[in-house]
Amino acid sequence: MTLVRVPPPLAQDVDLSKTYDAVIVGSGAAGGMAAHVLTTRGLKVLMLEAGKKLPIEQELRSMQWPYDHPRRGDAPPGYHSLSFNEYTIRTPPYAKSSTFQHVMSYVGGWGGSDYVKNILVDEKDHPYTGTKYAWVRARALGGKTNIWGRLALRLSDYDFKGKTHDGYGDDWPISYADVEPYYDKVDLYLGISGVKENLPHLPDSLFQRPNKLTFGEVRLRESLKRMGRVLTPYRAGVTTDGLKHNRYRSKCYGRGACDRRPGGCDIHAVFDSPTGLIYPAMDTGNLTIRTNSVAHEVLVDRNTGKARGIGFIDSATHKSYEAKAKVVIVAASTLESARLLLLSRSPQHPNGIGNSSGHVGHNFCEHVMGPGVTGLVKDLVGKPPTLDDGRPGGFYIPRFRNLKERQPGFVRGYGFEGSGGFSIFPGNAMGTPGFGAQFKKEVRDHAGAFIGMGAFGEVLARYENYVDLDPDAKDAWGIPVLRFHYQFGDNERKMCEDMVVAGREMLETAGIEVVGTDEKILTEGWSIHELGTARMGSDPKTSVLNQFQQSHDVKNLFVVDGSSHVSASCQNPTWTIMALAWRSCEHLADEFRKGTL
Amino acid sequence: MTDAAHHDARVAESLSRREMLEVTAAALAAPLLQLGPAAAQPALQTAPKFFTGPELALLDELAELIIPADAHSPGARAAGVAAYVDFRLAESLEPEQQTKWRSGLAAVDALSQELNGQAFLQGSADQRVAALTRMAAGEQDPKTPAEHFFQELKRSTVRAYYSSKIGIHADQEYKGNVYQRGEFAGFDAQ
Repeated sequence: MTLVRVPPPLAQDVDLSKTYDAVIVGSGAAGGMAAHVLTTRGLKVLMLEAGKKLPIEQELRSMQWPYDHPRRGDAPPGYHSLSFNEYTIRTPPYAKSSTFQHVMSYVGGWGGSDYVKNILVDEKDHPYTGTKYAWVRARALGGKTNIWGRLALRLSDYDFKGKTHDGYGDDWPISYADVEPYYDKVDLYLGISGVKENLPHLPDSLFQRPNKLTFGEVRLRESLKRMGRVLTPYRAGVTTDGLKHNRYRSKCYGRGACDRRPGGCDIHAVFDSPTGLIYPAMDTGNLTIRTNSVAHEVLVDRNTGKARGIGFIDSATHKSYEAKAKVVIVAASTLESARLLLLSRSPQHPNGIGNSSGHVGHNFCEHVMGPGVTGLVKDLVGKPPTLDDGRPGGFYIPRFRNLKERQPGFVRGYGFEGSGGFSIFPGNAMGTPGFGAQFKKEVRDHAGAFIGMGAFGEVLARYENYVDLDPDAKDAWGIPVLRFHYQFGDNERKMCEDMVVAGREMLETAGIEVVGTDEKILTEGWSIHELGTARMGSDPKTSVLNQFQQSHDVKNLFVVDGSSHVSASCQNPTWTIMALAWRSCEHLADEFRKGTL
Repeated sequence: MTDAAHHDARVAESLSRREMLEVTAAALAAPLLQLGPAAAQPALQTAPKFFTGPELALLDELAELIIPADAHSPGARAAGVAAYVDFRLAESLEPEQQTKWRSGLAAVDALSQELNGQAFLQGSADQRVAALTRMAAGEQDPKTPAEHFFQELKRSTVRAYYSSKIGIHADQEYKGNVYQRGEFAGFDAQ
């Protein structure tokens, strides 16, 4: 029952005169996994991270009471988080001409900007241009895994073989059977909580103790069962039973701070890349890390055309450096990885490295969100408070559209995330009309009686949705920035209409009064599930990577993050990113030993 | 209740990254501190940082009228709502926010003059409730300056009160933010 408070391992000195076996750009879920697999296989690895190494427990302060914080969790004056209105009315770069000293993405405005102000990038230093896009970036060791939403789902052959199923887009060059063993490895190495449901379209993981459902959630689950649908406890990338092999992470104690902040867990029961992957990799003695290292070019050997390392700028000193390696692994996030490939132009690779197909930046996809419903469970009104939020998440309703039957109007599907019951802040207070003793009592009596859910839907991968480099705009380090050419289409709009109808129907069928619906589609990017841009495939003319996330063009270049995904599916991507990176890096290590890279 | 209102309810209940955004962000821009009773009651315990003494006393009374002490729990006054708003406005770098509050309080007194022939705090308890009732009448669709100010006032009061020690523990009797041992939260996972 003791909490694990082991300090990070001592860092190894960076030696830029030496040629490492592999250099990894990025330290999030993908980069961390690459480091884990390759160092375990004995490769000497250098990891470059653009952001700082933060004293993360001090940033997150997971159990701080709101009233013990001088601004109840808000950042000090001078910080501003972008709002939906700003994303809607304006066009990127959103922080341009802002009078605020620091501008954060919308996640900062999500109930606790002070806890993420050093994790999220300052939009002022990191502009982008083009179409509207709510691009959320975290530059810090561990990247977005420091604050991720934790929903850890598998893909199935409905996703990997989507074209075979419904004719749209392209199949992945792999099937579920190829990835299943690696999902298992990820489950066992990192820990995941959930309940087996035996669904062909949402395969089970090797689960640790599940989280319980609240009263309203159980009622909805029972009703959905009669409709032939499933509500399952949140499949959380959280170790609920603990991990004997990892001394940097505690098991989950259901402390209940999970849902009132942008995320993060200061005892690391929630998976994050530093404690889950990077510190253990450092313990092998094979991993060296350099933070504050902004990669801007994959360096190319002029004779062979192969990758020879990474050109980067120190974020603090603005000095330029080169890191030399036999293999280059790009894991900078879907959009940053595409940017890095496009930036890496050379006589051998005039369109950017690995881009002979012209597909880098294209087939960009993600999840669409916004529509949702809120219901009132009448039986719960006036009931005494219970501990309902002592868990990393509420529930998940897996996709039910376009599996056996065909839904008119759109292809593919969506799932719902939601929760019901008491939480630290009675959200109903904002919407309860009036004032005075009656108002106060009504807030109290209803605080635990609501249940709400919002959908995440698959955005189709389209060649014409893409990013490229802006010819003029540059970031704070003088590096050309991304320009977006990306918009939801008709399939997403039709799907979003159906989300509202279906959500309403599900609550009503359960006897839960629908008291609110959201029809609004949130800005592109809002889901923070951007994918595609360097997709895998068997044909080098229409894809960037092979099934092992290895560049078709450059044998010693791998891109192991979400940019490799062929389609978005509607399941949250982190677990798949890690399973694929594990699979690819095992292949990489084998080929490295054989000398074929 | 409006959709937007219930949206707020759901937002606070859920989830990952739904649109917590403006509502929450704006609401958060308000709320803290220890502050004694005001106005007709004993003097404030802390010196105002942004507001004048009379403004702070007016705000303190308005907050207490919105969330009053009752048999169940203390109200906004005991929770220090006015002092928290004062602190946040004093350090704010947004002059338009400061102006909004100052002119909002002035609008309350103007409305009270119109209705009762005297400033808000000079009115009787019934007269104060009558003025606030008038301000709250436009809650869903505010038109007058006083009605617009009511929205801001209520949002900030709610945010400050329910994130205070009194709001979380005495009123809501919140059970979480503790290390659970043994039986974990929830109703039933079956």
